[in-house]
Amino acid sequence: MPDSTFLDATELVLNMGPQHPSTHGVLRVILKLDGEKVIGTECVIGYLHRGIEKIAENRTYAQFAPYVDRMDYVAAVSNGLGYCLAVEKLLGVEVPPRAQAVRVILTELNRIASHLIWLGTHALDVGAITPLFYCMREREEILNIFEKYCGARLTTHAFRIGGLQYETYDTFEQDVRAFCDMFLPKVDEYEELLTGNRIWIGRLRNVGILTAEECKAYGVTGPLLRAAGVKWDLRKAQPYSGYEQYDFEIPTGTIGDSYDRYLVRIQEMRQSVRIIRQALDGLPGGPIMGKVPKVIKPPVGEVYVSIEAPKGELGYYIVSDGSTQPYRVRVRPPSFVNLQALDKMCRGALVADVVVVIGTIDIVLGEVDR
Amino acid sequence: MKQGGALRRFLRKVLFIDLIEGLWVTFRYQQPKYIYTEQYPAERPKIAERYRGAPRLNTNPETGETLCIACNLCALACPENLIVVNSERDEKTRRKVLTTFTYDTSRCMFCGLCEDACPVDALELTQDFELASYSREGAIWDRQMLEEGPRPTKYAY
Amino acid sequence: MAVTPWEDELTRQLQEKFGEQILEFSSYLGQNFLVARPEAVIPILEYLKAEAQFDYLVDVTAVDYPERPERFELVYILYSFERNQRIRIKTRIPEGFRPATAVPVYPTANWLEREVFDMFGIEFQGHPDMRRILLPEDWTGHPLRKDVSILDMDQRWVRQHLGIESGQ
Repeated sequence: MPDSTFLDATELVLNMGPQHPSTHGVLRVILKLDGEKVIGTECVIGYLHRGIEKIAENRTYAQFAPYVDRMDYVAAVSNGLGYCLAVEKLLGVEVPPRAQAVRVILTELNRIASHLIWLGTHALDVGAITPLFYCMREREEILNIFEKYCGARLTTHAFRIGGLQYETYDTFEQDVRAFCDMFLPKVDEYEELLTGNRIWIGRLRNVGILTAEECKAYGVTGPLLRAAGVKWDLRKAQPYSGYEQYDFEIPTGTIGDSYDRYLVRIQEMRQSVRIIRQALDGLPGGPIMGKVPKVIKPPVGEVYVSIEAPKGELGYYIVSDGSTQPYRVRVRPPSFVNLQALDKMCRGALVADVVVVIGTIDIVLGEVDR
Repeated sequence: MKQGGALRRFLRKVLFIDLIEGLWVTFRYQQPKYIYTEQYPAERPKIAERYRGAPRLNTNPETGETLCIACNLCALACPENLIVVNSERDEKTRRKVLTTFTYDTSRCMFCGLCEDACPVDALELTQDFELASYSREGAIWDRQMLEEGPRPTKYAY
Repeated sequence: MAVTPWEDELTRQLQEKFGEQILEFSSYLGQNFLVARPEAVIPILEYLKAEAQFDYLVDVTAVDYPERPERFELVYILYSFERNQRIRIKTRIPEGFRPATAVPVYPTANWLEREVFDMFGIEFQGHPDMRRILLPEDWTGHPLRKDVSILDMDQRWVRQHLGIESGQ
């Protein structure tokens, strides 16, 4: 008889990913298990690292704009908005009101699209297949609007430094209004499918709790922070691109579990529709491009500009040395920072809950790895 | 979740109301008018007018001469440096004349910066989206291919 | 717009507490930042967190200036929910200097500092897990340093696998 067998081992190390359907990309999580209880996790990331920040140092300011779309590829418009705002701040360029309003409309549409992808895939992870089809169906309408507006569906490159490249197309307002009218009843449908569903509640309630203090300590932002009861949204706290004109609520949760995050995101979609409608009602006329020099050469200096992306605070720290290429572009990715709290949320949970927690953080690996 | 009394909650639970509500939603979409399938490739999908797809080098429709003035702005604007423009100077008119134009679609990310940069609307991203080729060389388009424009595939059905 | 001095209640408190340790209080485009000596950064972070409600560390990053004697500039971005204010703390460190880690003050610094190590080779003293995060373990070099060219990888690969010089 050997002195010890593998049955003596109290801890089991389990490898989850990188090829795993519920890790939403190429995330590898190493789980340390005691039976089915998780006693520790470690994330192995970087499989999708493309060196976006290094590429930025070798491109001109305008040339780098298409690359930022490829970070958080389900919310490409938000990425572009953050980058454009940062460079505009460095240049001191004023964006015309019409461009600002169109930017708000497209960014909010993109927020809805991003939340729809999250809802569909998260529900799929938990076991509900149907919402995915419905979410994709509604997202399709948004992507059609993007395609008609700027000619691309996913990596849109919709905004340029100083404003917009494209004027809205003829039926833009009608299309967006029709989408808003169509979309709100669909949100009610998702809620009918999920909100009261006992399986959904059973899987999500009290899973992956993160309190407000823990959120702040781990730098977690976005819907996760709001679900913990902190009424904080950069669109309200430090408005950009004319968000101060619009009237909307910041939905918050109470205890900060996965179910609260679901409710917060559902409410955010409704609020986005509200913002879009207001922006359409007050859509000003006028030019769509600010006074930007042909060759973009910002003065020496540095700037940090952040926006409320669908996943949380997306920041750009740009250092200019006065040449046509940025000296350093640092992206503060919300998914990367939020993913760090995975360990905190998973400790003591079951393996099946890890899937829920990964889904509820709403990571996009393109943004985690950049 | 609707708030109700304890009895109501009990009844909802026992009668599986929460699950039936969800099933009713899926059942409503049984109607054939909600079917949402595109019959590609039998029917070509509708592509937006501004779609950024396969590149084309426009020519003057009457004379067949290229509109390109070989200014090289597209090559400078391209983030991936995938456009190569070669030109020579015409001795008589002292103008630059385009000789070769190469566009590497395998590296292109269809950002549209080249068509924005073009001062004479010669380079254009068209609505053709079928860019697959059997080899890597096939993805590098020369002047002739670019001027002929995309030839949408005809599928035999 | 030029860099202007930054003066308010907070800078007075910091000046009183840290004196010579803080080299500069400035503001550029309405964004406040201070430059401190490397050894003072963690005490400043602790002070700001405890006394001034700067409870959210937004980002830790670095910038490489190879021509300067103190080659790297470390940047900490802080935010206060209470004050709705954002400040940057910058410090300049030479090659090989090991700054203290901010993980005991802000747990979020863990991955952010690992990324700085990965990209710039700045090792943080006292960090619980100082390994590469985005790049593979066996990677050589630190890609965001200015002396690493974007073409290096391509040229090395072509030389190794094709036996010719890369045309890039």
